[in-house]
Amino acid sequence: MAALFPRWSNTAARASLLALALLVVGVPLGLMAFVRSSNASARYEPVKQPIPFDHQIHAGRLGINCVYCHATVMRSPTAGIPPTQTCVPCHSTVWINSSELAPVRRSMQTGKPITWNRVDRLPDFVYFDHSVHVNKGVGCESCHGRVDKMSTVYQAKPLTMGWCLSCHRMPAGQLRPVEAVTIMGYTPAVAQARLGPELAAKYHVRSLTSCTTCHR
Amino acid sequence: MTNDGANDLTRRGFLKFVGASLALAGLDGCTRMPAEKILPYVIEPPELTPGVPVHYATSMVLDGYATGLIVKAREGRPIKIEGNPGHPASLGATDAIHQASLLQLYDGDRATSLRSGRQRSSWAQLSAAFTPSSLRSRVGARGAGLYVVLEPTSSPLVISLLNRLRTLYPDMRVYYYAPLAGPNEATVARYDLAPADVILCVDADVLGTMPMHLHHARAFADRRRDPRHGMNRLYAIEPSLTVTGMSADERMRCRPSAVEPILAHLLSTLGGDRASGPAAAPPLPADVPTAWLAALASDLRAHAGRSVVIAGPHQTPVARALAASLNDVLGNAGHTAWHSASPLAEAGASGHSIADLADALRSGGVRALVCGGVNVAYAAPASLGLSSLLTRSPERLYLGMYEDETAERATWFVPQSHYLESWGDARAYDGTLSIVQPLVQPLYDSKSLVELLAMLGGQAAADPRMLLRQSWQEAGLAPTDEAWTSAVRTGFVAGSGFAPVATAPRSPIGPVTTAATSASPDSSTTATAPDRFEVVFAPDYRVHDGRFANIGWLQELPDPITKLTWGNAALVSPATAKLLGVSDGDGLALRHDSASLTIPALIVPGLADGTATIHFGYGRRGHEHAAIAAAGADAYTLWPAVGVPFMSNVSIERDESASRALATTHDHWSMEGRDQARIQTAAAYVASSSTQRPPRAPLPTLFQPEHPNGTSPHQWAMTIDLGTCIGCSACVVACQAENNIPVVGYEDVLKSREMHWLRIDRYATGPEENPAVVTQPMLCQHCEMAPCEYVCPVGATEHSSDGLNEMIYNRCVGTRFCSNNCPYKVRRFNWFDYNAELTEVERLVKNPDVTVRERGVMEKCTFCVQRIREAEIAAADAGTALHGGDVRTACQQACPTNAIVFGSLTEPETTMMQRRAEPRAYTVLEELGTRPRVTYLARIRNANPELDHA
Repeated sequence: MAALFPRWSNTAARASLLALALLVVGVPLGLMAFVRSSNASARYEPVKQPIPFDHQIHAGRLGINCVYCHATVMRSPTAGIPPTQTCVPCHSTVWINSSELAPVRRSMQTGKPITWNRVDRLPDFVYFDHSVHVNKGVGCESCHGRVDKMSTVYQAKPLTMGWCLSCHRMPAGQLRPVEAVTIMGYTPAVAQARLGPELAAKYHVRSLTSCTTCHR
Repeated sequence: MTNDGANDLTRRGFLKFVGASLALAGLDGCTRMPAEKILPYVIEPPELTPGVPVHYATSMVLDGYATGLIVKAREGRPIKIEGNPGHPASLGATDAIHQASLLQLYDGDRATSLRSGRQRSSWAQLSAAFTPSSLRSRVGARGAGLYVVLEPTSSPLVISLLNRLRTLYPDMRVYYYAPLAGPNEATVARYDLAPADVILCVDADVLGTMPMHLHHARAFADRRRDPRHGMNRLYAIEPSLTVTGMSADERMRCRPSAVEPILAHLLSTLGGDRASGPAAAPPLPADVPTAWLAALASDLRAHAGRSVVIAGPHQTPVARALAASLNDVLGNAGHTAWHSASPLAEAGASGHSIADLADALRSGGVRALVCGGVNVAYAAPASLGLSSLLTRSPERLYLGMYEDETAERATWFVPQSHYLESWGDARAYDGTLSIVQPLVQPLYDSKSLVELLAMLGGQAAADPRMLLRQSWQEAGLAPTDEAWTSAVRTGFVAGSGFAPVATAPRSPIGPVTTAATSASPDSSTTATAPDRFEVVFAPDYRVHDGRFANIGWLQELPDPITKLTWGNAALVSPATAKLLGVSDGDGLALRHDSASLTIPALIVPGLADGTATIHFGYGRRGHEHAAIAAAGADAYTLWPAVGVPFMSNVSIERDESASRALATTHDHWSMEGRDQARIQTAAAYVASSSTQRPPRAPLPTLFQPEHPNGTSPHQWAMTIDLGTCIGCSACVVACQAENNIPVVGYEDVLKSREMHWLRIDRYATGPEENPAVVTQPMLCQHCEMAPCEYVCPVGATEHSSDGLNEMIYNRCVGTRFCSNNCPYKVRRFNWFDYNAELTEVERLVKNPDVTVRERGVMEKCTFCVQRIREAEIAAADAGTALHGGDVRTACQQACPTNAIVFGSLTEPETTMMQRRAEPRAYTVLEELGTRPRVTYLARIRNANPELDHA
């Protein structure tokens, strides 16, 4: 009786066993790599907004300080999305009739807020507090990137737990004088290796890695 | 409450779903996080910073008396209620009902639309129908047919609105009714426990339900802080077991009918043969221990002028008069007991009782009945027949929060605003003027009592805030703008309490009723006379008179005494249960004349034999889900008349049809020979602590001696004083409100799935007939060597650098190993997504600083870590150092007796550390080597040496 299977089926069986093993290891590895990729977190993808507000013009060219609009960053967990009234002082004299500013005018007339789309997203079980970071000398740029160069803002950093911890374990590397937190493209006057520990001591910065630092 | 555990899936269908879920489960991870929207303000309110809470002072009014509160709001929604530290009725503390009233604001069952008959209507239509000219045509030119029912009120604004109404309708009749309001008298009895060395409470729940109980509880506890330096002694004589009775040093149980003879006996023993004494003291019932009374009398005599005798406000006038005479005889009057003017409107005036209303309805003289927030169709003695009599009035206007029993019979129904939505005022029991300030606009188309009365007075569009301002101006309560602003900011007017009134010479006390003969089990005749039981009617610690029956937090709050949730039961003593042949949950039928009630029995040690205690507020028949879900019997059907504390000659028999599984969370009274909740007599304690003892050495351990605790400047810890814990359970609800703890429902409590992070265990020691009770708040002990941490396979419970045992929900996979390994059994598992069925409005109560947990994760007390972190960040932002004593946990803040203190081990000068150093400090299950961060102080019972039976 002729062999039921040709000889190459041995190789095929071995190969499929190997493929299975690779699959078992590879699929989880691949998924783990994927969730860490910028693709999964939508990093670098500009988020379209109801008003084509241009940070490059406002924060970059005009040099308006971050805190002018994100006013509560020093005293609240949230940096604050500016209320419609923040736009009015300038835009009652500049670009008065621009169609792009129609939502602002409509909002002021109707009293209905402008619906913005969130760019930097943390999961709901993460309790991030802007005020303490800024007051301890962590620059806006450190987490949000060069917003002054973004025409349409996108998420610039991974915002994963590993990334948060990289600084929480060794905070000194990211500290700058509190006066300089809003500066975009900041370079330390002296070497960060010397300045960082000095600022950490001055602002009483500790490495906080307990779970309840962020998860409550 | 969810029922996703219960369905009738077939085995085949189940396997199909399992297969499909497995196959599709992987796809779940392929989605990105959903896009989120951000809605900023258009014009930002200047007082508000998004993300930062704002606090406002307001007051909650119950049965006419105000308690000052401070309410925390986030982005305009109230999320937590705390006591107002300056307000004399609060002193910064709250009770369980204050805490839970927040949930009522967001209650999904609240009535949302105004209706006329069954038709939806509007405020404009209502006010058109009730303009003075059109109403006069229906109720007579002088308003003789207009009848108004209100709760007893102390509000100057409501009084001024009623006066205005009276100018329009001079013959209008007003009734003030709340079923559990105290006696209608021109003066109220006031007490000061602070200077009292000996306190005698005769069926008076002075720490639990009486007006000013938070104030009294603080004063009581402040005299028991350190037993080495003396403490007061609390005697309780009561038929049922109350919060006060559980805290008593010496307690005597008695049948309710024996209260008057006992007081008369005490008065004659203490030389009360003055004009104020009763004509003749009847003989004491045989089962009253006279030796006990003699010891009490000599203790009272020894502390004349520094003692106080308190009879409960629900006691008979004779019993209260006897107590007042006792205070006179002892020279306490003016020191620890006095009277002041009643803050209630028309206090002491006759003709305002609900029985008078029933007569008027029966006679047909009522043309229009306006019912302002009183559910008279339910919360009144059934013998009055109000629920059917109501319809004798052709027009029935009802202002109520729910579509309840009275709403069903109303021709006009107006949804009532919650107190956190309305402007108003009230006086505290001591007379302190308090402001009721809204924190939100009404969520629905609802109106407050003030708006309703203003409408009837022809001011349908009046702004209640302006009415209040105007009324205060006219009455001279806030003459200047500064005075008004300061009253609104602080929530009350300091120093506006009423001064003592000189007590008029008392008229002779009426005849003292003789106690009914005993139905104790040893009595030979009991078998043939089943109708010699007495029934005690008591306010419920949770739903009060039934008005809070739809608040899930309260329904699921274990009763401080019985630990019963979701319903009531007839509480009977072990001997009575034996006599009746019943055990927990067995049905009983209670009969007296034509009235009857079927209710399950629940055995409670320490109750008087031959009595049954029933709490009001259950057996609701309206349309509120939680109120109906609570299985319970309606005590009003048996209640003979308003203000009657008990009923004699009741027959009690078994009735299988009323049997029901009782959802108790702690059905056990015994410590099983261990000593987790320690109790000691004062004499023994002072003797043992005066001898020099070596400091407790740490237990030997195989672990590294240096635990990785200690890298943080603060090491959090808690001390709980069992000596001042009265078991009131305010902390349990405070924890639930602060930490987004779900309500699981009756069925799941039966399966021990309640979610409370903080529970109050209560144990009885000593003889079963009259035990000494100790209550013990039990929460995560934050062990330094936490057994739960070793067994978690995914690192979802870890130890923080500041000594917290952390629970990380997003890591938890629900193995429940940790709960198994926890010796204190304080971990809770989310068997279902208890939040899934909450409506949009119901979700608003959630604290945004705490994660709302998913199904399948473990949770437990976090020491209110969100408060710790908030305080740390606030200190860091301000550039100051955080003082550990500044962080207050939710349970600590609510506690009326300051039994719970929180702080850091690194700050030895704090109260927390000082209490830890007391000789009576211990940790629970110390021998396990878990090294808990929660330290308990043993309860010290200041027993009378003459009675010492321990």
